[in-house]
Amino acid sequence: MNGVIFDIKEFALNDGAGIRTTVFFKGCPLACRWCHNPEGQKPEPELYIKQNGCLDCGLCRRPCAHPECQPFGRCLHICPKNLVTVKGEVVSAEDLCARVLRQEAFLREAGGGVTLSGGEPLMQADFAAEVLDRLAGRVHRAIETSGYAGADAFQKVATRCDFVYMDLKLADPAAHKKWTGVDNAPILENAAWLKKSGIPHTFRTPLIPGVVDTAENLAAIEKIVGGSPWEKLPYNKLAPAKYKCVGREWTL
Amino acid sequence: MNEQLYRYYVIDRVHRGLREAWGEDLAARYAAENLTPEERMVRRFEEACRRQTPAIHPLEQIVLRRTVKKLPDVLTEAEWADIRKTHYVHELGYVSNLSPDYEKTIAVGLLARRETATDAQKRMIDALVGFCDRYRDEAARMGRDDVVAVLSRVPRYGARNFREALQFFRILHFALWLEGDYHNTVGRFDQYMYPYFKRDMDAGVYTRESALELVEDFFLSFNKDSDLYVGVQQGDNGQSMVLGGRLPDGGEGFNELSELCLEASRNLKLIDPKINLRVSKKTPLSLYEKGTELTRVGLGFPQYSNDDVVIEGLKRLGYEEKDAVNYVVAACWEFIIPGVGDDIANIGAINFPKLVDEVLRAYLPAGGDFDGLLDAVRAAIKRECERQMKDIRNVWFLPSPVMDLLRDGRKYRNFGLHGCGIASAADALAAVKEYVFNKKSVTPARLFAALDSDWQCDPELLHLLRYEAPKMGKNDDRADRMGAVILDAFADALEGQKNDVGGVWRAGTGTAMYYLWHARDLGATADGRRRGEPFGTNYSPNLFTEIPGPLSDIESFTKQDLTRTVNGGPLTLEFAAGIFDKPESIRKVAMLIKHFVERGGHQLQLNAVNLEAMRDAQAHPERHQQLVVRIWGWSAYFVELDKDFQDHVMARQEYGV
Repeated sequence: MNGVIFDIKEFALNDGAGIRTTVFFKGCPLACRWCHNPEGQKPEPELYIKQNGCLDCGLCRRPCAHPECQPFGRCLHICPKNLVTVKGEVVSAEDLCARVLRQEAFLREAGGGVTLSGGEPLMQADFAAEVLDRLAGRVHRAIETSGYAGADAFQKVATRCDFVYMDLKLADPAAHKKWTGVDNAPILENAAWLKKSGIPHTFRTPLIPGVVDTAENLAAIEKIVGGSPWEKLPYNKLAPAKYKCVGREWTL
Repeated sequence: MNEQLYRYYVIDRVHRGLREAWGEDLAARYAAENLTPEERMVRRFEEACRRQTPAIHPLEQIVLRRTVKKLPDVLTEAEWADIRKTHYVHELGYVSNLSPDYEKTIAVGLLARRETATDAQKRMIDALVGFCDRYRDEAARMGRDDVVAVLSRVPRYGARNFREALQFFRILHFALWLEGDYHNTVGRFDQYMYPYFKRDMDAGVYTRESALELVEDFFLSFNKDSDLYVGVQQGDNGQSMVLGGRLPDGGEGFNELSELCLEASRNLKLIDPKINLRVSKKTPLSLYEKGTELTRVGLGFPQYSNDDVVIEGLKRLGYEEKDAVNYVVAACWEFIIPGVGDDIANIGAINFPKLVDEVLRAYLPAGGDFDGLLDAVRAAIKRECERQMKDIRNVWFLPSPVMDLLRDGRKYRNFGLHGCGIASAADALAAVKEYVFNKKSVTPARLFAALDSDWQCDPELLHLLRYEAPKMGKNDDRADRMGAVILDAFADALEGQKNDVGGVWRAGTGTAMYYLWHARDLGATADGRRRGEPFGTNYSPNLFTEIPGPLSDIESFTKQDLTRTVNGGPLTLEFAAGIFDKPESIRKVAMLIKHFVERGGHQLQLNAVNLEAMRDAQAHPERHQQLVVRIWGWSAYFVELDKDFQDHVMARQEYGV
């Protein structure tokens, strides 16, 4: 089956054991105000205009005949600096796996593998499951998820992974809703299941200053984490730059 | 390293201000006396030794530094012009880019060498010994008994211990520069110095700490006068050191001294000596980790060379096994043989993008098929190589008695040609194949109109060829195969050809400064390159190629048979300096290098790049005096470079996390 991805990153050093290739799934049910991959939020392909060095030549606004450009109102095949691009590529599970497995031998040798990230890979759970099945027995498989999904989808994907990284951002349901746009009940349920599942996992908390990194919140999350491994991640200061590229405002 | 000493030579650079200008038109005087070139070289050396004032920092162990600024030339402009009428003068006309045999002289001393020396060499030895005696006297005046003891032994007699051997090396290396030779390389330092080091370590003369301190003191000596050794740019001085590698008995050369050298370089963070690590399929990951610890510092070295490929390649060119095994790296990346080599590894360069452009313009309008086009490219490469081989003959150098003393004959007299812009040329061919021949979506007329207008009339074609076409660096066989076609044609064109001194011709993948020079006057090319836009350095992708990551990059540049292009020239990978912050990353980068070697790459160079610091350094050079960057085959202080070299470094592809 087909899915939508927005990037494949080689030589990813922070997405699990060894050297990994990370596939970014497009679409996320959350809208965290600090999100550093805003281009991963919308499920469908979208215009992404790099802001650095636009010549204001206007070429991309001229009408063109390419069918693939029509939905975006810009020509994607003309910018002299290649600033006008689309994030989001429809790809079959088969093709995607063929691409990442070109470096299978090296990924295995380097103790690494493939990590599904996003966006939220669980938003395309069936697609993710098919990708993981095709990678089974070839490379180590990991996922990075917000944990926001129905229990069926979560378990279907998690049981196909060799390792799960799951975010725990805010313990308080109201605060979670305020900062991420969704309730955290499904996340807490999935976290409880994951802890008992026997699947190797680590919980992660992005230390957003003044929001997530309060003593109160961290203490509450520590309780949820229980005895599981827990990483606190520094806040990515480069995040605001990407918002303009997808035509949005940084509001944090 | 002692902080005061470091500050004196590196930060404040007090010693530079104490130098005197020679201030004489020496060539005119020599010409008036109608002296032979050899007599002039000897006399200038004698005069230079006399003019030097002994100067010793109270805290340094290894002494000798230049107190005379630039050496005046020994030949007048008119005399050079005369020589050029009948000879090919390579670069400055002084011997360069060689790897002397320091070992033999360090072992027996200059007096022993004097017995079999020429008259010219005897006079130069006497001048050098006299000069060192004045250093000894100065040391005595200062109460530096340790220096007096060393200089009472060397350079007259052979070194007996590690410190004497290091001081002897310093004297010989200094003498080469003082003769006017340049790009004087260091060679397999960890091999020829090892016996002295080992003996002293075994005898308990040094702890690891005090040995490291001595090596650091010695390393500092390469940086005392290097501002006087300017190549194309400041920093281009060829003081390359080679560590590790296969030994003649098949063993592995990396030893405790090699390890101390890596550590000294990491501590000092100085651009000299420039470290090269010889590796092979057998090299353990731990050695790559040590190398990566040095890469992390941001000096642009170590540079790795692959014994499996290089030794095999040199043997194919006719080097004897025992010499090939002993190969070292010349000033940048050219593989040469220490002690017995007289190769001129950088005598010319082929401009591949220009050749491909000329062939496209002649061939496409006639309407032949793609195989025919490749044949035409091969023929053009052959013609250009033949033209250069014909033009480069009767090479003339000033005599170099000191250098001759430090080598055993001239066993290898081969000439090397750089291969410039390989990725740009390969991408152009891949684009033409894809769009003109296979898809037929671009007509030759449209292509040439776009090229001639520097893309002004056809921005859509620019986008297609620049950003959507197959590129080397993306692990795309369509482009990578074209790279192989070019390299094979290059090697074929030179194979079996002899130069006029009986040597062979060597093909390489280096660019030297030609990535700017060759590109400057070349119009837009079919790879989507704009008029005048520089090529990538050495064996690397085009600057504008959007590379998926270092793995694809490595795979693109290791599909070709690189045993045929061992004149050298590395693939360069640029990493954002921040990735090295995590201890785990060191091991991961090390795995990447190991992968490169196992895939049969010949040479690799990695940079830890701090783009923000470079931007700030362009605006506020005074705040970034110590910022180091790698240029084409050497490391330099960023603020001392011309802006076009700075801009090229900043435009290179960089991998973040």
